[in-house]
Amino acid sequence: MNSSDFEQLNHHRWEEFEKLLTHVEKGRDHPDKQLLPKHFREISADLSLAQSRMASSHVIDRLNALVIRAYEQIYQNKRGTLDVVMRFIMIDFPIAVRKDWRLFWLCSVIFWLPFFCMMFSENIDARWVQAALGPEGMASMEQMYGGKEQQIAHLREEFGSNFMMFSFYIYNNVAIDFRIFAGGILAGLGTCFFLAFNGFYLGAAAGYVNHAGNPESFWTFVAGHSSYELLGMIIAGMAGMRIGMAILHPGRLPRVRALVQGAKQALPLIYGAAMLTTLAALVEGFWSAEPHPSMVKYAVGIAGWIGLSAYLICMGRSRKKHAA
Amino acid sequence: MEENAKLDTLQTLELADGVSIRLRVSGPILRGLAYALDLMIRLVIFIAAVVIISYLDFAVGDKVAQGIYLLIWFALDWFYPIVFEVGKHGATPGKLMLGLRVVQVSGAPITLGQAVIRNFMRFIDSMPFFTYGFGLASCVASQRFQRLGDLAAGTLVIYHRMPKAVQMPTPPPLAAVQVPVALSRDELFALAMFRDRASLWSEARRIEIANQATELTGAEGVTGMNRLLGMAHWTHRQTTHRQ
Repeated sequence: MNSSDFEQLNHHRWEEFEKLLTHVEKGRDHPDKQLLPKHFREISADLSLAQSRMASSHVIDRLNALVIRAYEQIYQNKRGTLDVVMRFIMIDFPIAVRKDWRLFWLCSVIFWLPFFCMMFSENIDARWVQAALGPEGMASMEQMYGGKEQQIAHLREEFGSNFMMFSFYIYNNVAIDFRIFAGGILAGLGTCFFLAFNGFYLGAAAGYVNHAGNPESFWTFVAGHSSYELLGMIIAGMAGMRIGMAILHPGRLPRVRALVQGAKQALPLIYGAAMLTTLAALVEGFWSAEPHPSMVKYAVGIAGWIGLSAYLICMGRSRKKHAA
Repeated sequence: MEENAKLDTLQTLELADGVSIRLRVSGPILRGLAYALDLMIRLVIFIAAVVIISYLDFAVGDKVAQGIYLLIWFALDWFYPIVFEVGKHGATPGKLMLGLRVVQVSGAPITLGQAVIRNFMRFIDSMPFFTYGFGLASCVASQRFQRLGDLAAGTLVIYHRMPKAVQMPTPPPLAAVQVPVALSRDELFALAMFRDRASLWSEARRIEIANQATELTGAEGVTGMNRLLGMAHWTHRQTTHRQ
């Protein structure tokens, strides 16, 4: 049998298959829909035969295209439902954070060390924090936290400014998480840089307000959302470092394979980080600037830290035992 | 796989089903164009949204409108490619227009997780200063034109439908020339491709290519080319009569 006989003999079958495939691709119903895998195997066999017997290239190209299209239809992924989301929040995310507890402490140190160094440097020499913030930074800190206790509430008096600030925090802070995550691919260097930089800058801001502003107005404002915001950032750092570690220490895998695996493991962490930072934006936008007594705000802040820690430490434990 | 080591955009890849398929990987230029198209589409969407919302301004207020702009730009910036790449076509509108799509290295459609990884990594790929220098360097250094995000996610950008090979009538039949040595499968395939495509090229180009095979034909120039075509005819007859 030569190549054109082969084509003539099977031409009809291939055309039928292409018709079926087009129907399935467009999501239309077809009586033979169930037979797609069977036909797929037949066409695959045809392609192998054509390749090994050197049929002319247009036959091979045609079969090749058909196999690719059918393969895409058969191996489609079933995608997320509410179940998956709930399972992620209740079980998968806390487990993922606990599993990488070493990275948690590593990222915590990378963030908090520059933070506290900058904050306390103000006691020794205030020029450090002034240099870090720059004139514009200092001006905006003074505008927000320079005066009376609830100054920031007055800045939010215009209708809708809470929503505007919420949007800004999403736009800015969630993107910071994503950048920290992406920095992991530079062998973790990018992640370390962004984490340390944020610690450094926030520490400088806190130090400056302690030195020149009204600390009460600053700490009452940040208390409410601090837990979600900062733990979210640190967990984004964990996600980045998971990728960085895969490059630095691939173990027994080739580096590219280790990278793919590390990125897969980092996914629940970056999803969770985005979730926490979104929550922080909600709190920062709609609660933190509200004129409530300081004690209430501190209490809400502390409750946030305790609640979030308890969530990350305790959730999903019983299920894990069942699975094991 | 030995075939993957070749300097070619055509990648052979074996599926779990035992058959090998060929994917044509896309290079950085076309992907850059697709990116530019996507950027324009996103700008148009954003401007349209701004115009519509500015008409509703009186109802929602200035600050709320500003907030909505920020949210829309955030979504377009980070999630536009992800949403489209996990969608039915596996490609952003820009890629779709240029006939590209994103697949796993196994050839299967990508998962949500892979779309997230490859598009979040874009931030690093686009460095330094949005020149896509890192991404380009990674494309050039990797075998299959993968930028850093592709490497981390295990994805490829390929041509969705391969351009149909133009079929031309083969040149007038020549005397079949017997091939003096046994040829490997790949060599036979190259010979068949030469025969199928010879009429697409100018005489000079045909000779230029045939000169690569002087070891087989034993002659340069027109004689060598004619002999090579003759051999292609001979092997074609052999393979078609063999079965």
